[in-house]
Amino acid sequence: MFPLLILHVVLGAVVVALGDRLGRRAFAVAAIAPAATLAWLIPQLGGIVDGDPVTSSISWVSGLDLALELRADAFSAVMLLLVSVIGLAVCAYALGYFGAGKAGVGRLAGLMTIFAGSMSGLVLSDHLLSLFVFWELTSVTSYLLIGNDDTNPRARDAGLQALLITGSGGLVMLAGLVLLGQSAGTYRLSELVASPPAGAVSTTALMLVLIGAFTKSAQWPFSSWLPGAMVAPTPISTYLHAATMVKAGVYLVARLAPVFATTAGWRPVVLAVGSVTMIVGGWRALRQVDLKVLLAHGTVSQLGFMMILVGAGTYGLAQAAVVVLLAHGAFKAALFMVVGVIDHQTHTRDIRRLAGFGPGWGSVKVTAVLAAASMAGVPPLLGFIAKEKALLSAIDGHFIGAWWVVAAIVVGSVLTFSYSARFVLGVFGRLTDESAVDAEHPLVGPEVAVPSRAFTAPGLILAVFSLAAGLAPVLVDSLVAEATRSLHPEAKPKAVVLWAGFNSALALSVIVIAVGVVAALAGRRVEAAQTAFHRPVAKLPTADRSFWVLLQSVLRAAKRTTRIVQNGSLPIYLMVILGVSALAPIVPAATGLDELPVFADTWLHIPLAALIVAAAVGSTIVHRRIAAALMLGAAGYGMAGLYVVQGAPDLALTQFAIETLATVLFVLVLQVLPRTFTDRSAAVIAPVRIVVAAAVGVSVFVFSLAASQSRADVDQASISAEMLERSVPDGKGANVVNVILVDFRGLDTLGEITVLLVAGLGVVALARTVHRKRLETTSLVPSPVVDASARVLFASILALSIYFLFAGHNQPGGGFVGGLTAGAAISLLYIAGGNPAVRRLLPVRPWTVLGGGLLIAVVTAIVPILLGGAVLEHALFEAELPLLGKIKTTSALPFDIGVFLVVIGLVLMAYEAFGDDPEDSEDSAGSRAVVTS
Amino acid sequence: MPEQFIAPSIDWFALSPYLVMVAGALGLLVVGALTPRWPRGLYSLVSALTATSAGVLAVFIWNDVAEMGPGTLVGGALSHDAFAQFVTIAVCAATALVALVTDAEVRGTVLEGPEIHALLLTAATGAMVMGASNDLIVLFLGLETLSLALYVLAASERTAAGQEAGMKYFILGGLASAVFLYGIALLYGGARSTNLGEIVARFQSTVALERNDSLVLAGLALLIVGLGFKVAAAPFHVWSPDVYQGAPTHVTAFMASVGKAAAFAAMLRVLVIALPFHRDDWRPVIWVLAIASLVIGSTLAVVQTDVKRMLAFSSVSHAGFLLVGVEAAGHRAGEQISGDGLESVLVYLALYSVLVVGTFSIVAVVSRHAGGSTDISVFAGLGRRRPVLALALTILLLAQAGVPLTSGFVAKWGVIQSAVAERSYAIAIIAMVSAVIAAFLYLRIMVSAWLADPSEVEPEPVPAMTGVAIALAAAVTLVVGVYPELLLGWTDAVSNFAR
Repeated sequence: MFPLLILHVVLGAVVVALGDRLGRRAFAVAAIAPAATLAWLIPQLGGIVDGDPVTSSISWVSGLDLALELRADAFSAVMLLLVSVIGLAVCAYALGYFGAGKAGVGRLAGLMTIFAGSMSGLVLSDHLLSLFVFWELTSVTSYLLIGNDDTNPRARDAGLQALLITGSGGLVMLAGLVLLGQSAGTYRLSELVASPPAGAVSTTALMLVLIGAFTKSAQWPFSSWLPGAMVAPTPISTYLHAATMVKAGVYLVARLAPVFATTAGWRPVVLAVGSVTMIVGGWRALRQVDLKVLLAHGTVSQLGFMMILVGAGTYGLAQAAVVVLLAHGAFKAALFMVVGVIDHQTHTRDIRRLAGFGPGWGSVKVTAVLAAASMAGVPPLLGFIAKEKALLSAIDGHFIGAWWVVAAIVVGSVLTFSYSARFVLGVFGRLTDESAVDAEHPLVGPEVAVPSRAFTAPGLILAVFSLAAGLAPVLVDSLVAEATRSLHPEAKPKAVVLWAGFNSALALSVIVIAVGVVAALAGRRVEAAQTAFHRPVAKLPTADRSFWVLLQSVLRAAKRTTRIVQNGSLPIYLMVILGVSALAPIVPAATGLDELPVFADTWLHIPLAALIVAAAVGSTIVHRRIAAALMLGAAGYGMAGLYVVQGAPDLALTQFAIETLATVLFVLVLQVLPRTFTDRSAAVIAPVRIVVAAAVGVSVFVFSLAASQSRADVDQASISAEMLERSVPDGKGANVVNVILVDFRGLDTLGEITVLLVAGLGVVALARTVHRKRLETTSLVPSPVVDASARVLFASILALSIYFLFAGHNQPGGGFVGGLTAGAAISLLYIAGGNPAVRRLLPVRPWTVLGGGLLIAVVTAIVPILLGGAVLEHALFEAELPLLGKIKTTSALPFDIGVFLVVIGLVLMAYEAFGDDPEDSEDSAGSRAVVTS
Repeated sequence: MPEQFIAPSIDWFALSPYLVMVAGALGLLVVGALTPRWPRGLYSLVSALTATSAGVLAVFIWNDVAEMGPGTLVGGALSHDAFAQFVTIAVCAATALVALVTDAEVRGTVLEGPEIHALLLTAATGAMVMGASNDLIVLFLGLETLSLALYVLAASERTAAGQEAGMKYFILGGLASAVFLYGIALLYGGARSTNLGEIVARFQSTVALERNDSLVLAGLALLIVGLGFKVAAAPFHVWSPDVYQGAPTHVTAFMASVGKAAAFAAMLRVLVIALPFHRDDWRPVIWVLAIASLVIGSTLAVVQTDVKRMLAFSSVSHAGFLLVGVEAAGHRAGEQISGDGLESVLVYLALYSVLVVGTFSIVAVVSRHAGGSTDISVFAGLGRRRPVLALALTILLLAQAGVPLTSGFVAKWGVIQSAVAERSYAIAIIAMVSAVIAAFLYLRIMVSAWLADPSEVEPEPVPAMTGVAIALAAAVTLVVGVYPELLLGWTDAVSNFAR
């Protein structure tokens, strides 16, 4: 079986790929697939009918416990016969339907083959999930086939509607199948029905599965896509939307009903939906003037009929359903083919314009009459046998609602008879209507060209089968009986016969036919009654209209959401992320709060805190950018003040240096931006921003409280005490912060300065890509006084920074602070004379400084290894120097110098990259400069 | 008196993949700067070879680990376990593929040179460090190395869109890194160590009632925010469509593969390995993130018209799938029999990395020819013009959709299986349904490529090295799809991690 499915896919793909090269012969190639299915199936049929299903299991991944389970029992064989026989007939028919040289035919043939493969897979699958996969594949191929003519907007819309309804129904079904599989503990269909699960979960699951089946089989209220799908070429409609695909839902319900029909809710839902579908479909079919749409509504009605039969879950009705499946496949395909022939020859399907055909049309007429009679349930055709069987079994059915079923079938059958009659009368030209005829749309009559034999033969064969199987039901009897047993193992199906004697079913049939004949004779009056009935009803929303309204509003909502949430605005993205990250941790943090801590230790805290708060609030209010930057700087200085008060001079020093440098850099960048903030966002955004900002503030506040409380119960001795103790003996330095940086966590520092280097690379690369105009405002007037004082100050600040560097190991300072201080000195130079001044006094390239710094740090780290020590192991040196006296230093100093240089290099580079007169960087910056390091 | 400081011993061979990558990056920069422009494609080849050899070394190291058991390196800073090697191999594979594609993408622009490749290798090193980190500080270092290089790469093209993408990525990424760092600080406050092993030991030895968890939980929340941003999980995904669309396509490929792999590896390290005793705290959060990512990713992807944006949303939905696996791993984190969650996430990452690079490579080829447009309309008629390319695209998109016989199915199946095994039915069902919704998105691209009317466009030239990368990606996708045993037999070891 598996090679058969592969054959379909490969053949389909080849035909699609060949495209229009084959022309309509593509259908001849495509016919190989159904022929192969038949060739495989017919030899097996004997065994299958004897109750011996063919199974095959392709174990694929042993590790994943996955296998493709296929199983062909008699019911699957019935479906497979439909798929392959009608597939063959359609391929033959399509050769006549499509003219030579019509574009897109190859694609249709190929997709149809893939569809046939999916449908075969669907009816052969014994595993719920593979069944689902094939199920969705049929939806997808159906979509592609309906929308094949992608220049026709109606085709696209219809395809989309079909896909959305059946596809989303499939999704609902998937949820149901998973629940069902989980509650049963198996996904094998055959095992599932052998030991069905029970309980609330499986009831829910079944309802979900039913929704999927209803959408696929076009049950009311999901039926609107099927009439729409009639824009597809007739061979496609014949195959997918009459004979095979739409029966997938019926198939699945038939598989599940025998064991689940008694589950709460199953029968009321299935029987009600099926009855309404049967009657509404038939009613609508009666009103149509387009032969194809008439048949489509007829299909809906018949699908409702089948749903009733399979859903009731008794073997008698199931047996009737199998006969209906066969009969419907034959007569509906034949009828569609008749419509296709008429459409092809006359270019219309409007019964008001058909005035009867000439003598050459005999075979078409015979086909139409036989097939329609079978549909109407007239003896001695197969359709009659099916309906008799259904009525008989329903009357004998011992379940609540059996009489309801009988009533629904009778009403539906009357309607079916009526629209069958309407179809035949339309084909014979008895329903012409002058109001639909004008110069552009003339009446078409006997003068129309006669269709070729080959074109009409497939339909005729199917119609003759309806007659033959009706006269000699023994042809199908054993298959039908075994198919029934494969659904209901306990079933004892009676033989299907044409003449079952005088019984109540026959009486009902007589009534149906009598009422149908009367309705057909009084056709005009029925039409008038329908029109009168529909005038008030037309205002109610139909399922079709609701679908489009729903789709439009969903799309509009999606667009609106994307426009707000995904509008490309950085502030909005920031608000989303900030908002979530502020709110997420606040709950655990707040729960950790037992009591409020002392907020101020000394009076000095109060003015400092006030400064910070005022500056922070101020920076959000002011309109000038430069003022906002300065406010931020003030907040930073306030923090540094707090550090001083708390007795952390090293932190304070670093903070001061960073704030100074950052403010200068801010000012530098702000020159190129507009002077004030411009707020172009909508008015609703402002309060949202305030809320997010407040939330972030509150959550950080709560955090800090929680954090300080958590520290309270930590035994202080743990980490900080250990660091303090080990600083002098192990790190040879009294400044613990510095010792941690260059010694205890020296490797981390090495990593950090490497990251700084990468950041530098990034800054340069970013700056290089930006096309910059020369700025008019920035050239400062060179003033000798400023220049001279800048030089003096520069020298002294640089000296201070070097002092910080050397003193750092034992006193406040260190390479990082020193570097920042030197950076401030460089800023001073820059402000005084721009980049030329910086270059004059520091004639080294930024990359050299940066790279050199990293190199020194790395060498310092590695040298101890070469000497047989550990990474960053430091040694202490003491020396007596003239003038300076005794100095004491460690080998950590070079490492610190490395850090120092990296920071300076970064500052230099920022000026080079963002300053107003960057050296022309195309040729030299970037990579070449690295080499010099 | 505190005990004497003991210097960490260093196993140089175990560090060789990182050293090879760094040496490759530095070598490219130094040698590339000293020599005149190399012949075409050589920069790419060298960086691809560097990444490949690092990956091969990781295979050997894996053998060592298998023989001697997991351990730590450099004083507990890095893990020496199969997990790390697996991530390294995945990252190296994706990097090598991206390096091959990059050549044609930068040819003839100012970026044609060694820098961009050096950046790729640097970023990949960061990603490898993230996957191997056994210390939160080291993890952060890796994260920053990766991110900084990525910011530059994202902005490397001189177009307004590219600049905007780089800027957005930089600012939002910087914020996320800061949040992450804050999280580390708070966690450190609660656990008193940044070393994963010590964090575990700490919570193992304290009775749950006695510990004050508020700091740990707050830190955990911030860590998840930071990681959520990096993996582009909803609602932290807002940046990804803009950045994926604006960045040069080969960089997008790198972001979606290496960036995502590293971030998920980091997430597993932090949550599953370091904080198994808080699994009941973080698992619900992951659950919510997973469902949000699945639903938002797959539904919003369908309404897009730009292929890169579609793939961006689809990568959000892939993140959702991966989170399903993380959630599954959370059920038994820290137990002896830990379930398949962790393993399924790693397999998913490796397979997804390869196939996403392949997909974006094809997008790069097609959009380059169409003047940089990535609208779905430029794919129309690809099947006529370049049937083989369209076939590769189909294979890769089918894999993205998770169709059987492709690696994508193996990945998705593993994740869902592990979720089902932990009885997380709701999340498994939502994942499956969203996979089907997302399938329509890939279908749209395929339909456009095969069935849309071919407009009269010249067939797009496929650069040789890009072709090789695409062929490799498609081959891996198919081979693993048909014989998943090849990979699955291998990955059983990864849950035996060090800490």
